[in-house]
Amino acid sequence: MYLEQIITLLKDVLSLGDEVVLNADTPLLGALPELDSMAVVNLIGALEDQFGIAIDDDEIGAATFESVGSLAAFVEKKLAQ
Amino acid sequence: MSLAAHAQPFFLEAGGGERFCLYHAPAGDCRGAFVYVHPFGDEMNRTRRMAALGARALARAGYGVLQIDLAGCGDSSGEFGEARWQGWKDDLTLARAWLAGRLGRPAGVWGLRLGALLALDHAADLADTADEPRLLLWQPVLAGATYLTQLLRLRMAGDLVGTNAGNGGGADSPQALRALLQAGSAVEIGGYLLAPELAAALDRLDAARLAPAAAVDWFEVVAAPDRPAPPAAQRVAAAWQDKRKDAGKDVCLHTVAGPSFWASQEITECPALVEATVAALVESAHA
Repeated sequence: MYLEQIITLLKDVLSLGDEVVLNADTPLLGALPELDSMAVVNLIGALEDQFGIAIDDDEIGAATFESVGSLAAFVEKKLAQ
Repeated sequence: MSLAAHAQPFFLEAGGGERFCLYHAPAGDCRGAFVYVHPFGDEMNRTRRMAALGARALARAGYGVLQIDLAGCGDSSGEFGEARWQGWKDDLTLARAWLAGRLGRPAGVWGLRLGALLALDHAADLADTADEPRLLLWQPVLAGATYLTQLLRLRMAGDLVGTNAGNGGGADSPQALRALLQAGSAVEIGGYLLAPELAAALDRLDAARLAPAAAVDWFEVVAAPDRPAPPAAQRVAAAWQDKRKDAGKDVCLHTVAGPSFWASQEITECPALVEATVAALVESAHA
């Protein structure tokens, strides 16, 4: 449901070109070189600002950033809270 | 022409010192007045150019602009670690009074990021009084608590990339730093000393509860022209609209395509934002 918005946000925050195609199965952490530790912090902040959610550091881990789909699922769960 | 040729720098006497100000006189007949409130920390430095471009464009369109460096920021007196939220609101009151006196008309407030949230909080204090300012909001921070977490998180990111190596696990986590602040200790973030009083004030701020009753033009910068405003902004705008539907005034939430100039490391311009802001003012003057 939020997949398209997450993909757009990822492309904007990580400055990915149009040649990078993302879908739910695209692996993120460890697979996308743009996603370093600072980019993760920026991405979390962008998710908070975009969706109006507050993310605690103990609710996120490597599994959250495993793929585009896992990240979208996390946001969906936060918005349902 | 240099910026100095357009604007008049001076120091405004304030409680506990003086505030650096830059006054942009309106060209031709004065159509209005705005005090500009800058963002906080690194964002203030990154956005100086956009603030100058905006102030000059507004002045050319007939709007007098006063840029004020809040206590402990920029070239004003005081240390950042001594700055308090209420003190900044007092600075804003002082700046509006100066500008209103200079131009003989009420001064609105134009704020960027945390400056926009300060403008909203100041306006809420004056809600439904004759002194409530007209607002121009650029990319306002909407939730003070989330903003504080994002500031605190920067320290952990520094650690992750090794600048603070050896500090150990969770000591620099946002939760641990927040606990320090709540216990009354100041915390250093990227060269700024954040006082526990300021952090506590930030933690309580929620734009959704600060519905302005006066006219407001709100601008969100999006990555491409066909993008909607972020869901969070839409929710807050809808909450405001709900509270003021009897007032017959609309909340104008505009989107402008351009770069996130407040967040980028290089000095970045977003001319479309300046143009849209002037256009919105001219349009509302003719409405």
